[in-house]
Amino acid sequence: MIIMHELGIAEELSSIVVETAKKENLSKVTRVSIIFGQLVQIVPEIFEFAFRETVRNTIASEAELSMEIVPVRLQCKTCGSDLPLEDNRFECSVCSSSDIEIVQGKEMFIKSIEGE
Amino acid sequence: MEIKIMKNILDRNQNKANEVRSLLASKKVLMANIISSPGAGKTTLLERTLESLVKNFRIGVIEGDITTDRDARRLKRFGIPIVVINTGGGCHLDSHSISKVLPHFDLDNLDVIFVENVGNLICPSQFDLGETFKLAVVSVTEGDDKPEKYPMLFREAKAVVLNKTDLLAHTNFSIENFTSDLKKINNRIIRFDVSCTRGDGLNTWIEWISGQIKSISH
Repeated sequence: MIIMHELGIAEELSSIVVETAKKENLSKVTRVSIIFGQLVQIVPEIFEFAFRETVRNTIASEAELSMEIVPVRLQCKTCGSDLPLEDNRFECSVCSSSDIEIVQGKEMFIKSIEGE
Repeated sequence: MEIKIMKNILDRNQNKANEVRSLLASKKVLMANIISSPGAGKTTLLERTLESLVKNFRIGVIEGDITTDRDARRLKRFGIPIVVINTGGGCHLDSHSISKVLPHFDLDNLDVIFVENVGNLICPSQFDLGETFKLAVVSVTEGDDKPEKYPMLFREAKAVVLNKTDLLAHTNFSIENFTSDLKKINNRIIRFDVSCTRGDGLNTWIEWISGQIKSISH
């Protein structure tokens, strides 16, 4: 029994990859490019392992996984400042407002696949 | 050959969650997604909550459990509809499993569904179930560092219940650290400090959750 949150996400990813590859008439997927936001708390090694498990015996079984982890960016909805996340502080360092929007850092995106 | 996709990996889950959310809204049913570590006291909180609410509201429960139905058995005495979802090893519930069990409830004659998610602080906060809001439950025995370690959950939850306050004197849990960490992550989060075993603080929680249900139910 495997219990890890990476697995559920990897399952969704591999089904998108296989479906897309079939639709595009690929016989083999060689690369899968994905983006994770920092707040998603993905452990890259574990995700890689989970991905390998879920693509086993599919046309994506040998695909290389390119994973990009993007940092958190916040935007203050009061003064409009664009801010990085420091010390988990969801508060504007310019005007102290806590009306903050997370504009980057929650992503779980599949960017593209490559194949032949 | 490169094929651009650019979509959310959890698209399928999100679409189904949106469906669930609009269905529940049309039926005026509140759904609370309760998230905590194993042992924080989700089931005990539910027991205490049901004891107070069962007379005034029509309630359903969805129990997410990895392999057993032990939590559901504890709630049987209330005589309300309870559905168990065994995730078979999975560390969270997803919107498809919720959507599949909703037909077990008579939504036209229900005010609220409490979903007890699988005990875990990371995964459940990433899978939208279509809930009205997320409720985080933490206990003083786990330590005061939970908001700092799992900011996503505390950022997204509407309310947090801090349980087992009767044990404060026996732990190194710092209310000051917990309060300031929580505030910097989400200063709008509503907090209830309770002891489910002794009953401290439960009245305020019950009053709040009753108000939430009344505000959307028929």
